[in-house]
Amino acid sequence: MALYESFLKWRYRLIPDHLLGELLAKRWIENAIPVLSLLIALAVFQSVIPNFLSVSMATDTSRLLGEFAFVVCAMMIVMVAGGIDLSVGSNVALGNIVALYLMNVLAWPIAAMVPVVLIVCGLVGLVNGLLVGYLKLRAFLTTLVTLIIVRAIVDMLLMRHAADISAVFLDYPAWDFVGQGKVLGIPFSFLLFAVCAVAGHIFLSRTRPGWHVMAIGGSRRSAYNLGIAVPRTICATYVMSGVLCGVSAILYAARLGNAGPSTGVGMEVMALTAAVLGGNSLGGGKGSVPKAVIGAVIVLLVTDSLVRIGLLSGASSLALGLILLVAVGVDVRWLKNRHKLLAKMYVSPTYLALPPAPSTDPGSDSPYAMNNALKDVELIGLGELEGPEDMIFDRDDNLYTGSRHGDILRILAPDYKKIEVFAHIGGTPLGFAMDRDDSLVLCDAGMGLYRVATDGKFAKLTDETNRSAWSINDDSRLRLADDCDIAPDGRVFFSEATVRYEMHEWPLDALESRGNGRLICYDPRNNSTRTVLRNLVFPNGVCMAHDGQSFFFAESWACRINRYWFDGPKAGRVERVIENLPGYPDNINRASDGTYWLAIMGMRTPSLELALRRPGFRRRMARRVAQDELLFPNLNTGCVIKFDEAGRVLQSLWDSGGDNHPMITSPREHKGYLYLGGVFNNRIGRYKIPGADTSWTSQQSYWGTRS
Amino acid sequence: MSNVFRRAFDALLGRGDAAVTVPPMDGALQPDTRIDEAGLMAELRAPDNLVWLGGRLLCSSGGEVLVLGGADVAPRGNPVIAAGVALPSGHADIANAIHPHEAPNVYTRFDARIACLATFGDDTLVAGLDSGLLIVRGGPHDGRSIEGWGQGGKIHCPTALLMLDADTLLVSEGSTQHGPADWQHDLMEKNASGSVWRVDLRSGESICLARGLAWPNGLLAVDDGRRVRVSESWRHRIIELAADKPSTPQEVLGDLPGYPGRMTPTSDGGAWLAVFAARSQLVELVLREHGFRRDMMREIAREHWICPSLSSKNSHLEPLQRGGLKQMGILKPWAPTRSYGLVVRLDSDGNPLASRHSRADGRRHGVTSVLQAGDTVYLASQGGDAVLALPASNLPASRLPASRLPT
Repeated sequence: MALYESFLKWRYRLIPDHLLGELLAKRWIENAIPVLSLLIALAVFQSVIPNFLSVSMATDTSRLLGEFAFVVCAMMIVMVAGGIDLSVGSNVALGNIVALYLMNVLAWPIAAMVPVVLIVCGLVGLVNGLLVGYLKLRAFLTTLVTLIIVRAIVDMLLMRHAADISAVFLDYPAWDFVGQGKVLGIPFSFLLFAVCAVAGHIFLSRTRPGWHVMAIGGSRRSAYNLGIAVPRTICATYVMSGVLCGVSAILYAARLGNAGPSTGVGMEVMALTAAVLGGNSLGGGKGSVPKAVIGAVIVLLVTDSLVRIGLLSGASSLALGLILLVAVGVDVRWLKNRHKLLAKMYVSPTYLALPPAPSTDPGSDSPYAMNNALKDVELIGLGELEGPEDMIFDRDDNLYTGSRHGDILRILAPDYKKIEVFAHIGGTPLGFAMDRDDSLVLCDAGMGLYRVATDGKFAKLTDETNRSAWSINDDSRLRLADDCDIAPDGRVFFSEATVRYEMHEWPLDALESRGNGRLICYDPRNNSTRTVLRNLVFPNGVCMAHDGQSFFFAESWACRINRYWFDGPKAGRVERVIENLPGYPDNINRASDGTYWLAIMGMRTPSLELALRRPGFRRRMARRVAQDELLFPNLNTGCVIKFDEAGRVLQSLWDSGGDNHPMITSPREHKGYLYLGGVFNNRIGRYKIPGADTSWTSQQSYWGTRS
Repeated sequence: MSNVFRRAFDALLGRGDAAVTVPPMDGALQPDTRIDEAGLMAELRAPDNLVWLGGRLLCSSGGEVLVLGGADVAPRGNPVIAAGVALPSGHADIANAIHPHEAPNVYTRFDARIACLATFGDDTLVAGLDSGLLIVRGGPHDGRSIEGWGQGGKIHCPTALLMLDADTLLVSEGSTQHGPADWQHDLMEKNASGSVWRVDLRSGESICLARGLAWPNGLLAVDDGRRVRVSESWRHRIIELAADKPSTPQEVLGDLPGYPGRMTPTSDGGAWLAVFAARSQLVELVLREHGFRRDMMREIAREHWICPSLSSKNSHLEPLQRGGLKQMGILKPWAPTRSYGLVVRLDSDGNPLASRHSRADGRRHGVTSVLQAGDTVYLASQGGDAVLALPASNLPASRLPASRLPT
C-alpha cells in the first residue's frame, strides 16, 4: 500500500498532466495535428526512399508545390466561406489550353496572355459564384456541373487545336523562366506562391473583406444579420478561386508546354484532400493559407513518394482517397468534440497526502474542539449582502465590504443598518486592506488589484505580473487575486489563489489541489508588479506580521499557514507556522492582543482526504460526474481560530449548528468586536470578544494614530 | 470476446455499464415537500416498520414494538383485507387520537434490534431480528422461533416479512454476508447474495423462492397471494416471483432513481413503496471505482463514507458535494444529498402513480415504511426520527401514471 502511494506521489510529481489540458485550450493546437502528420510522413518516406530529402528533390517538389498550392488555396478560400469548388481541375485545364493557344498558335506576348487567361478562369469562377452566391444553388452540384461542362469545352478545344499547339516550339527565355527558372536556387513558381501566400494570409486574417469571408463561413445567417453582403462575398470567393486556378494553369503551361487530355484530371480531389488535411473545415469559417500550405505539402509528398516507391498510379489515388476519408472524419469529429474534450481534460488532479486531521470533538482537549461561541452572533445586513468575503473599517468606524456583483459597499456606523454602494468596480471584490492615506486597497477577482480613495474614486493598481518562463497558459494576467496587505514601505503583497480557474469555478481548484497559486508584490514606488512565490496551494489570507518585515499567508487546500520574510535578515525565506489544520484556512487578520485571527472556511472530510490521495479517481469523477455532484471540501461549516507568531493555536470559535452564521472566510477585529465575513454568505456576523481592547483598531495597528 | 472489449471500452469512456447516470425524478416522481409538511404522529428514535395489529398502529424502534394508535379507538366500517393484512378504514380518528410528543406504549420487546415485522389477523405478530432470529408472538403459532432455513443454513439478514395466510410466512433475506443494520456494507461490496423464502409455520419447513438477489428488501402479495413482488434494492427494481415454488424473477418496475424498500398494499390493489435513499451520480461512480471503494471501506468510518444513508448532515466530516454548498445561507432543495425521503404510490401493475418527497433541504429522510389506512398514509422516517401522517385523498384516482393524465 505504501509502495502504491509513493508510486502515485512520484508519478504525479513527475508527469505534469495539467499541461495537456492547457495545450488543448490553445488555438494553435489545431495546426499541430497536420504538422505532426507531415513530420511522420517525412520520417516514413525518408526511411523508405533513398535520397528522399536531397536538394534536387526539394527543388523539384517545391516547383510542383508552387503550382499545386495555388489550386489548394483556390479550394480553401471557397471552403472558408462555407462552399466547395469542384471545378478547379477543369478550370486549370482550361487555363492551360487557353494559355498555350494564345502563346503557341496566336503568338501573343506573355504580358497580354496572362490577363486573358486570368479573366477566362475568373469567368468560370464567376459563373459558379453567380449560381451559388446569388441563385443559392448547392455549391457541390453546381461546381460538379461546371467541372463537367468546362472539361467538355477543354476536350473540344483540344480536338481542334492540340495539333497546332504541339507543332510549335517556343523559345522565349521569359516563358522558360516562368516554367523552369530559379531565383537564388528557388524555383520561380514557388517564389511566386510564397509572395501570394503572404498576401493571401494578410487578406484573410487582417482585412475587412477577409473577415467577411470568415464570418460568412462561420455563420451565414449571423453574417447576413450583421449587414455583410453575403451573396456578393460568396460570389467573390468563387471568382478568386477561378483566378488562382488561372495562375496555376499559367505555371503549368510554362513548365510542360503540353496540352494533353489528362491535364488537371483528379486535381479537385487532391486539392480537397490537401485543404481538409491541413485543417480547413468543410463546414466553413475555419481555415487559413498556412493550413492550405501544410495540406498541400503533405498531399504532394504522399502522391509523389508513392509514385517513387513504384506503386501503380491507381494505388496512389486509392491512398489519396483514404487519406481524404480520414481527414474528413477527423475534421467532423474534432469540430464536434473539441470543447467536450477540453472540458474533460482540463481538470487535472494531483496527489496530495495530508496527515490525519486533528480532532474537533466537542469533548476533546484539542484546541480545535467544537463549541458554540458563535451561536448568537449579531447579524449585519442579513439578506442584503451577497458574498462579503472580507471587510474593513475606516477611522470613523464605517464598514466596507464587497459583493458578488462587483460593488464596494459601505455600511454606516454606529448601528450598521444603512448600506450604500461606495464604488462599483466589477469582478468580485475579495480581500481588503487600508493604506496610510485611508484609501482602500482590494483584490478584485477577475479584475486585479484596485485602490479606492476616500471619495469613492477608484483606480487600477495592477492587473498583470511577469509571465512564468515555461507556462503554457498565459499567466501574466491576474485571474483570481484574493487577499492583500500593505507593508510599512507601501508595497502591496497579494495572493492569487489559482492561475487555472476563474472566480466562478474556484472550488474546482480544490479538486486539483495542485500548487496553482502565487504571491505577488506590487510596488507603488515604481509601479511594478513581480511574482514573489510560485506553486502555492491556493494561497490566501495575506497578513502583515507585527515586525513589519514578514507576512503570514495561508495555503488553503494544503491546510497550513506559512510566514514569508520580504525584508530584514531572513528576507526571501518561507517558514511553516501551522501544519495540518482541521479545515481549509482563509483570511488572516491582526488581533488586538498581538496575535492573529484566522478564518477556517470549511472542514476536511475523510472521504475527500482519501480522494486527494487518489488522483485517478478524482480525474474520472471530474470527467463523468455532473459539476454539481462533484465531491467537495465541506464549506458549509467553519470556524475562527486565534494563533500567535510561534504557531500555537490559542482558541477556536464555532457555530456548531451552522444556522446563524454558516461559512466564515474572514475575521476582522475592530473595537472589541470580531466581524465575520463569508464568500457564500448573505450576512456579516458580529461577535463581542470577551475582554478585548475596545479602542483597538487595525488602522491604528498598521499606521498609528493620525496626527 | 466482444463483451470483454466492450466492457473495457465502456470502462474507459464511462459508457454502458460504466455510466454513472441516474434516472431523473420526473413524471409521477416529481419532487415536492409533502413529507416535510406532513403531520407529526410521534417522535421516536429510528422508527422502522409500521404494521396494523388488531386495529392498532404499531411501529418498531430498536428492540421495541411501540403502539402508536390507541386501542380505545375502534375501527369503523369494514376492514379491507388485502393479502392477510387487515386495514381498517376511518383512521383519521386514530391519527387524531394520537398526540405527538407523548411517550408511546410498548407493545412488546425483543432481545435484539427489530429488522422487520409482519402481522396476521388480530393477534399474530412476527418479528425478524438483527440477530437472524424470526419470532412469532400471539396467534396460533405463539412462541415459535426460527433460526435457520432447514437445509439452507442459518438466517443472516431478514429484511422484510409477509404473512400470506395464517400458517405461511414469506421472508426476504437481504444478504448472507451482512446483517440488516450493515446494509451500506452490502451495497458497497456490491453483493447479490439475497434470497426469498417461504416458511410453513406449522412444520417449520422452508422453500427458497429465489436466490442471487441484490438485497431483497420488501414483499408484496399480488394475484390473491399466488405471486409475490419483491423490491430488489441494489438493482433499483421490483421483481415478481411465484409465491409457492422457485421461479425466475420477472422485472415489474426497473430503473428507479432510488433504492426501493418495503411495500404495503392499498385497497385498490396498488401499493405504497418506501424508497429509503436516492441514487446519486457520485455513489454510482464510487460503486464503479473498485480501488477507491475498497480503501474507503477500510480507512474511513461508515458514517463518513460516500454512500447513501438514512440521514445526513449530522457531522462536518460527512462528504459534501458541490451543489450542497449553502449559497447565501440557503441549501438548494435539488442539492445532491446522501439521504432523501421518498414514498411512491404504485398501481396494481406496479407503475408509479404519485409520490411524496422530503428533499435535500428537508429533514424527514430515510422513510423505511409506509402504510395507508383509509384516507391517511403513515410514514416511518427512520432518518428523521419521526412517524408522520399524510392525507391520501388528493392522490390521482386513475390507474394511469400521473405523467399521462390529461390536464
